[in-house]
Amino acid sequence: MEIISSAGIVVKLVLLLLLSFSVVSWGIILFKFFQVQRAKGESERFMDFFWKSKRFDAIASQVDRFAHSPLTVLFNEGYSELKKVVESDSKSDGSALSTDLGGVENVSRALRRATNSEITRLEKYLTFLATTGSTSPFIGLFGTVWGIMTAFEGIGKTGSASLAVVAPGIAEALIATAIGLVAAIPAVMAYNHFQHKIRVLINEMDSFTTEFLNIVQRNIAGK
Amino acid sequence: MVSRTPRIDTGMSASFIASAVIHLAVFLLLAWSGRLLPLQTPVQETYYVDVVNLPTANPSSGAPAQKPAESEAAPPPPLLTPPAMALPPSVTSPKAVSKPPLVPVPHKSGAADAAFAERMAKLERSAEARREEAVFDTLRSKVKTGGSSKIGMPGAGGAEAGSRYGDYIKSRLEDALKVTSSYSTKNPEVVVRLTIAPDGRLSGVKIERSSGDAAFELAVRRAIDLASVKFTVPPGRTVYENGFVFKPRSISSGTSR
Repeated sequence: MEIISSAGIVVKLVLLLLLSFSVVSWGIILFKFFQVQRAKGESERFMDFFWKSKRFDAIASQVDRFAHSPLTVLFNEGYSELKKVVESDSKSDGSALSTDLGGVENVSRALRRATNSEITRLEKYLTFLATTGSTSPFIGLFGTVWGIMTAFEGIGKTGSASLAVVAPGIAEALIATAIGLVAAIPAVMAYNHFQHKIRVLINEMDSFTTEFLNIVQRNIAGK
Repeated sequence: MVSRTPRIDTGMSASFIASAVIHLAVFLLLAWSGRLLPLQTPVQETYYVDVVNLPTANPSSGAPAQKPAESEAAPPPPLLTPPAMALPPSVTSPKAVSKPPLVPVPHKSGAADAAFAERMAKLERSAEARREEAVFDTLRSKVKTGGSSKIGMPGAGGAEAGSRYGDYIKSRLEDALKVTSSYSTKNPEVVVRLTIAPDGRLSGVKIERSSGDAAFELAVRRAIDLASVKFTVPPGRTVYENGFVFKPRSISSGTSR
């Protein structure tokens, strides 16, 4: 660890910055890993429960069991909007088909809004991973360039260019690039992995939205 | 308008704490492995052999911590006295031809025999005394020059206690400094007093004069640590203490105590 302690102040600052990037990005990686895993598992179980249930109100009473699934948010939004539509229909004459179709549109908009908010929630913090993955190597490279500049200045002052004099300075400088890569590589890999997982969840939300609207429309048309 | 309860992402702080712990563990692991697996390659120990004097010594002489003297038998001195028995006459020598042949004279009486035996015993005693004197001379010369052994590790013993051991320590330190050398000022110079215990262990390191070059001082300390692993027992198993002047390209030793 002498290699770090004997580095210059700029290289130390670069290393500190990269270390903080690495700590934060690993925190995000761990958090996102558990978030996506829970969302995926509970969505599968919620869909099983959804298709086995006959009534929306029965599902609504049990939906808290799947709190981490984005589909439950969609269901809650759609169901509450549907209830409002039904209540407004019951207050009016309740026979006009145009009103029913307008109610379906309302439910569709509510589901779309809920989908967007869930996508935003799932993709939260991923931009930091992308930023870490793309900028950390350059920050590390900056530290390396600065360290080599300092090392060459020292060589010029001492007048000795032997390997024993040159090598420690170069090694101190290169540690910045190494730490930059150590921070960037997991961040890029995790970013790509979570992008894929979130895309799958978005597809599931789209499918659920379609199924929910189909059920609502069938019931309204069957009245 | 239905107000949605915002979903709170739990576990974010726990993830950050876990991340910090992981980084700390990795840092400690690296520090630990860096201590166990130093980057420097071990110094190849060099044994200096005085090839000029190589054939003169007994192969067993000069081994570490070996006393120089008694076991090393000196070659017997050449016999200066004529052999007890008369040589046969040389046929080729013209001088010998002129002389009458030396043939044993038949003894005529017991008194003559006794005189002859006495003379022979006297000659033998004289020859023995000269031989012993030659042996003592050889031993005295060896003791005076610190032993004839120039082979093997220094410190094999001698009248000048520790002088060659100092050269040996200096050589080890020079080898190590070649590996660890690093300095940031021009011609730094550090004076260090080393104390080596009777068992060969480095028992004291004191920087008597600093150069102000932290990099060079660190290199000197690392060189001492590196070299101290290979130190042998000082001659006579006594405490060895000496000052060494470290320069980037050389080490010179001061006076030993």
